[in-house]
Amino acid sequence: MGHHHNDEFKLHTPDFERINKKIDRRNFLTKTSLGLGAVALGSLFGANTLYGSEKQATTGALSDDEMQKQILAALPHIAPKAKRVVYLFMSGGPSQFETFDYKPKLVDMFGQDLPESVRGEQRLTGMSANQSNFPIAPSFTGFKQYGKNDTWVSDLLPYTAQVIDELCIIKSTFTEHINHDPAITFFQTGHQLPGRPSMGSWLSYGLGSDNENLPSFIVLVSKNAGGQPLYSRLWGNGFLPTEHQGVQFRSGKDPVLYLNNPEGYDGEDRAQMLDYLKKLNQFQNEGIADPEVDARIAQYEMAFKMQTSVPEVMSTDDEPDDIFDLYGPDSRDSGTYAANCLLARKLLEKDVKFVQLYHQGWDQHGGLPGGISHQCKNTDQATAALIIDLKQRGLLEDTLVVWGGEFGRTVYSQGRLEKENYGRDHHPRCFTMWMAGAGVKPGFTYGETDDFSYNITKNPVHVHDFHATLMHLMGIDHEQLTFKSQGRRYRLTDVHGTVVKDLLV
Amino acid sequence: MRELPEELDYNMHVKPILSDKCFACHGPDMAKQKAGLRLDLSEAAYGELPENEGNYAIDPGDLEDSQVFHRILSEDPDYIMPTPESHLTLTAYEKAVLIKWIDDGAEYKPHWAFVKPEKEELPEVENEDWIKNSIDNFVLAKLENLNLQPSKQADKRTVLRRINFDLTGLPPTLKEQQDFLKDKSPDAYEKVVDRLFNSSAFGERLAADWLDVARFADSHGYTVDRLRDMSPYRDWVIKAFNENMPYDKFIHWQLAGDLMPNPTKEMLIATAFNRNHQQNMEGGIIEKEFQSEYVVDRTNILGDAFLGVSVGCAKCHDHKYDPISQKEYYQFYSFFNNVREAGQISYDNAMPAPTLLLPTAEEESLVKFINEKLTSKEQQLVKLRSDSKAEFSQWLTAGGAAKLTTQTYPSVGLQARYDFDKNELRNALNPKEVSFTTLVNRDKIKEVFTEGKTGKGILLDGDAWLDFGEVGVFRKGEPFTIGMDIFIPQDFKEGVIFHKSLAERMYNFRGFHVYGRKNGTLEIMMAHAAPANAIVKVSKEKVAKGKWTHLTLVYDGSSKAKGLYLFMDGKKLETTTEVDDLAKDILFTQHVETQPGLQIGGWYRGTGFKNGIVDNVSVYNRKITDFEVAVLAGKETWNKVKSNKKTLEDYYFSAVHQSSISLRNELKNERNALSDATEEVKELMVMKESNKPKPTFLLERGNYDSPGEQVFPNTPDRILPMPENLPKNRYGLAQWLTHPNHPLTARVAVNRLWQNIFGIGLVKTAEDFGNQGELPSHPKLLDYLAVSFTESGWDVKKIIKEMVMSAVYQQDSKTSKELLDWDKENRFLARGPARRLTAEMIRDNALAASGLLNKKVGGPSVKPYQPDGLWRINGATYVPDTTDEVYRRSLYVIVKRSVPNPTLGTFDATSRSYCVVRRQKTNTPLQALVTLNDPTFVEVSKVLGERMAKEENVEKAIMITYNKLTGKLPKAKELALLKELQQKELSKFNASISKAKGWLETGFYEINPQLNMPLVAANAVVANVILNSDAALMRR
Repeated sequence: MGHHHNDEFKLHTPDFERINKKIDRRNFLTKTSLGLGAVALGSLFGANTLYGSEKQATTGALSDDEMQKQILAALPHIAPKAKRVVYLFMSGGPSQFETFDYKPKLVDMFGQDLPESVRGEQRLTGMSANQSNFPIAPSFTGFKQYGKNDTWVSDLLPYTAQVIDELCIIKSTFTEHINHDPAITFFQTGHQLPGRPSMGSWLSYGLGSDNENLPSFIVLVSKNAGGQPLYSRLWGNGFLPTEHQGVQFRSGKDPVLYLNNPEGYDGEDRAQMLDYLKKLNQFQNEGIADPEVDARIAQYEMAFKMQTSVPEVMSTDDEPDDIFDLYGPDSRDSGTYAANCLLARKLLEKDVKFVQLYHQGWDQHGGLPGGISHQCKNTDQATAALIIDLKQRGLLEDTLVVWGGEFGRTVYSQGRLEKENYGRDHHPRCFTMWMAGAGVKPGFTYGETDDFSYNITKNPVHVHDFHATLMHLMGIDHEQLTFKSQGRRYRLTDVHGTVVKDLLV
Repeated sequence: MRELPEELDYNMHVKPILSDKCFACHGPDMAKQKAGLRLDLSEAAYGELPENEGNYAIDPGDLEDSQVFHRILSEDPDYIMPTPESHLTLTAYEKAVLIKWIDDGAEYKPHWAFVKPEKEELPEVENEDWIKNSIDNFVLAKLENLNLQPSKQADKRTVLRRINFDLTGLPPTLKEQQDFLKDKSPDAYEKVVDRLFNSSAFGERLAADWLDVARFADSHGYTVDRLRDMSPYRDWVIKAFNENMPYDKFIHWQLAGDLMPNPTKEMLIATAFNRNHQQNMEGGIIEKEFQSEYVVDRTNILGDAFLGVSVGCAKCHDHKYDPISQKEYYQFYSFFNNVREAGQISYDNAMPAPTLLLPTAEEESLVKFINEKLTSKEQQLVKLRSDSKAEFSQWLTAGGAAKLTTQTYPSVGLQARYDFDKNELRNALNPKEVSFTTLVNRDKIKEVFTEGKTGKGILLDGDAWLDFGEVGVFRKGEPFTIGMDIFIPQDFKEGVIFHKSLAERMYNFRGFHVYGRKNGTLEIMMAHAAPANAIVKVSKEKVAKGKWTHLTLVYDGSSKAKGLYLFMDGKKLETTTEVDDLAKDILFTQHVETQPGLQIGGWYRGTGFKNGIVDNVSVYNRKITDFEVAVLAGKETWNKVKSNKKTLEDYYFSAVHQSSISLRNELKNERNALSDATEEVKELMVMKESNKPKPTFLLERGNYDSPGEQVFPNTPDRILPMPENLPKNRYGLAQWLTHPNHPLTARVAVNRLWQNIFGIGLVKTAEDFGNQGELPSHPKLLDYLAVSFTESGWDVKKIIKEMVMSAVYQQDSKTSKELLDWDKENRFLARGPARRLTAEMIRDNALAASGLLNKKVGGPSVKPYQPDGLWRINGATYVPDTTDEVYRRSLYVIVKRSVPNPTLGTFDATSRSYCVVRRQKTNTPLQALVTLNDPTFVEVSKVLGERMAKEENVEKAIMITYNKLTGKLPKAKELALLKELQQKELSKFNASISKAKGWLETGFYEINPQLNMPLVAANAVVANVILNSDAALMRR
């Protein structure tokens, strides 16, 4: 069989003898005024290490698989600050006005029509574009200052206010997308249309797993939060290999799909059965020697390990009361946001690379005061508790915590404005999110918006920039982690994104 | 390190490097060309560098003089190519190839895939005995070149299982295995192949693949992702494959069935291909954005499914690698841009227009019956009038007309009248009925009374609307008249005047409305689901502004455009009809709590009628005569009518003559019956051209709201110029695809069929035949197949048969470790194709082996077992089927795009959100959990276990189950191993039957209680182990 495939690069083929002769090296070096050209030639004509391992049959140039291997081999590109991420995704688009972006001047402008000069050419959603006026709605809730920098935080977030010195708040995040599906898809995958891998999948693909018994990308969805629908492609692997998809852990008896053995059949029984399966596979593979059989045997072993490790990690039975007290009463009710925050901490302790919590219900087109109070009440304490808990375990140093939604909300009321009741439509041009922990400046606020929180006046941070920064913290140069699909190289940040260095310690 | 080929081929060796490493900046994308250099065309590459006088990128044969040579060897970051910022680097091998190529003369050749395929002489081979058909010549010649031997023929069982899965997606039954083993005739294998081609499962197998391409799904996708039924399309696909429809026709029907001569119902159903894409129901989306998105989807799938070129890359800019400019992209786009469709789909679950009604035979005959009655009533009505002239004369003589003069407005049929004069919103006819102004969701706000046309009127603010409760609720079969005085302010730009609907586009305008368009004209619409299932007419005259005017909408109940018209100040407006296609009723029946009625001056989430005033609203439950309209508008008086006998006669037969009135009432009832009969008729989204062509513009950066130059339907010259004789519509496009000179379509099709059979295409990147795609492993074979395919009249079964009859296909898949390592993917085909079963096959294999499989073909999708709560993330509930529908073949399992089926999705079934022509092939622990614990597989194990328990001999029982699941018999040591397992499990379950609970109780199937339960359970475990073993999961 193809004996020549193992040969080294043929330096002295007649072709290259001829080329060698033709090149007057000195002349070449002068002409290109390079000096390094000789080295380049050396590597061209002499080196075989660069590509020495190439043994596989291929019909074209460098195969895509080889290229991908080279890309992964280069990781990490930078010394990572964060080993893991917990992303608290507030689905629906939390209002910046009632949380972090304090706009006291609006109080006097209650009900006034938002000036067209502020609105500019911003397109509006189909829900409020046709309103005959755009009455300014000041926040119904008060704000107070907290922490070493006297940072303004809404009265709806008393617990978060207590950890304000840990937060790196970005008031100037922006996106192009004004509706949920495109905006969330964009935030999770860097593209507004379905089909691209989510950021957790990219991280899993690039960095692999630090825990052999658990997936590297785990998703937790608050139960009964209501609000805008979610869909599992938000944690999908897109064109990356399926093993990098986010695995949803659900509350209840079957936390991972089909994790449980048939009723009555316990782990020991299963272990014995799998032992026989392994032997059967090995017998069947005799004379075939397909490495895929070995791979599958390994996957069955991993599945078996998950059957034990997942229920273990999902169980909070051993947590002491003061931990439940820290996360709040809901943390005893599995599947709630608070319980998921506690669970997230456990997963992070096990070195799961990317844990993403989804909490729905932030889409207050109407009845915002009641709605957002409810949302804050359900999330505030547990969010703060997660930071405190990670910190007290020394995990905050190398864990990045992210909080935010897919866009912000309008200063004007959607529908009727009343003193105690109003709604806000989607607003992509500015909104607040925050990060905490590994590698980001604690007790820091970045970016500014105008008096209407309608436009950014200082230090805009685009979603692509956020992605670039997140990857940077994980040790990845966002421009270098690419994957070739359908003839094109893709990356999380498409062709955009700049690391926001100002946020980094 | 690979050896440098002695003779470089541009397409084979050079261009893959240039394309991948250079074209992004020096390729076809004009906007991104750096330094004005492009390397994809020889004349540009050889020419003087535009930004570097006297220098040349490539001087053929002269390395010294070629900038490319110097640049790729440099290490100076400011000089080297590719630049460090690109993060692209050339390997030593790649540099060597480029250098040698330049030195050899830098010969360019057209991209192989854009050159029409030609059949070449069959390559000669040494081992002629091995050859079964022409395919083998191509493959063997290459192997002999590499000094490789093909593998021996696979054994009969292996081949039988392979061919069964490849042609039907199902395993061979025990009997089929026996028959084949017994048949010693030389054509035993061919007989099996022919039998499989003729089974209905063949169409299902090919459909399973095509549905990935066609992104077929049971839900709309995007966030809300409600269900819809597109199964008639799936049924058509299965049928098309089973009847061996020629592939060119298969393309024509799907792309353009509606535009072909005399389209049949099936041809229209086929066009659902282009409506399978996702559609958005999110409340705030902008219509135009998503209308554009849908057209983009259709354009991209043309590239992915038929051309094998990622045309989608040219949506925002010229293609970076392939010769498709952005303009050419929008020329493709314009073929698909003429569909009368909504961007946002309706909140009440109406099937997005345009649709095809698919009545059952029963429904069809009922509709026909009612239509006949309707026609007869209409004729009777005409006759009745001519027969009753005498009665009219009597009425005249008796002084009937005189009574009319006392009325200020017509009274016959009047249902409601509001003059607002007492600062009240009361219906003068029924003072209990009070209307109210409202803003959102029936939150009442205080209405503003102001000076009206007469007495008081209501001032409107553009957001709130005057709501008349249930007044104005009419069906499409019911005549009505609505009139009112309106003051339209001078600065009115656009907005609704009055309507009966729930909101602006959220509900696709169901109901009717009068709308002031931007250009000042008035639109009248009556709709089931706009913009297609509707009547739309537009006035030629502009609406009067800055003064009081009277508007009257009159409708005769006919569901036809000519029966709906508008009067301004008593004068009938001339109109243009834009749509005349109302096929279903205009009332809400689903997802709506209260039937809305007449509303004036505003609508939910839409533009209203700011600073307008309304007064004197009248609603009639009959079509009033033209003269009455004039009276209502205050433009005529009853006195005049006395002098006009014709007008008076019209009035008499409309409002007075009892026989006419009751006959019209009967007609109305028949029309309502017709609406009732149509209400439940199934609708399928199909393609239908709008009668008014929609102009298409290049969209700058791909943005729907940045139109650039106008473009017209056309195809890219570099692929194949569109022949003059073809129409510039979808039908022309479809014929262009299958034109004898087309370089791509046949190659792409046979490659995908090859991929289906061999697991990997001759071109591995089945979706991409462009510059960035991988090169064919056997270019001449690909072309041979492509040409044979077209020459045969695009005969799908014939070309597949040639593949499976080849010696290549029938080889043993076992091979040496050396060969396995060297050619992991089996690109050189020195062995038979082995691969894991697809998601569908894994489930179907288990169901078939257990005998549970329900082989019913076609029909709506089914819902097998699924863990609770998966659909809850977007507010839906999954209710599994409760009959043997749960055992249907996997291609019928419901596809909800946002929540994949957990069994199939785990084994790489696609989300069907977009076209996929090549599935991922993964191996994950989650897959193990499915086949171990998913109720479907546990139940299958149980059923097999029960069957085994009836067998007296344990070994025989195991052998039968093994044979059913794997198509093979176990080796002696496998049998011994499984027997040992069975004994262990049996003693375990004997000791503790509670351990067997899950094995015995999972799934609907109930086992015979007479049987020995521990034995059944132990057998079930054995069956499950076999089911999870390589021999079951792989087809080798």
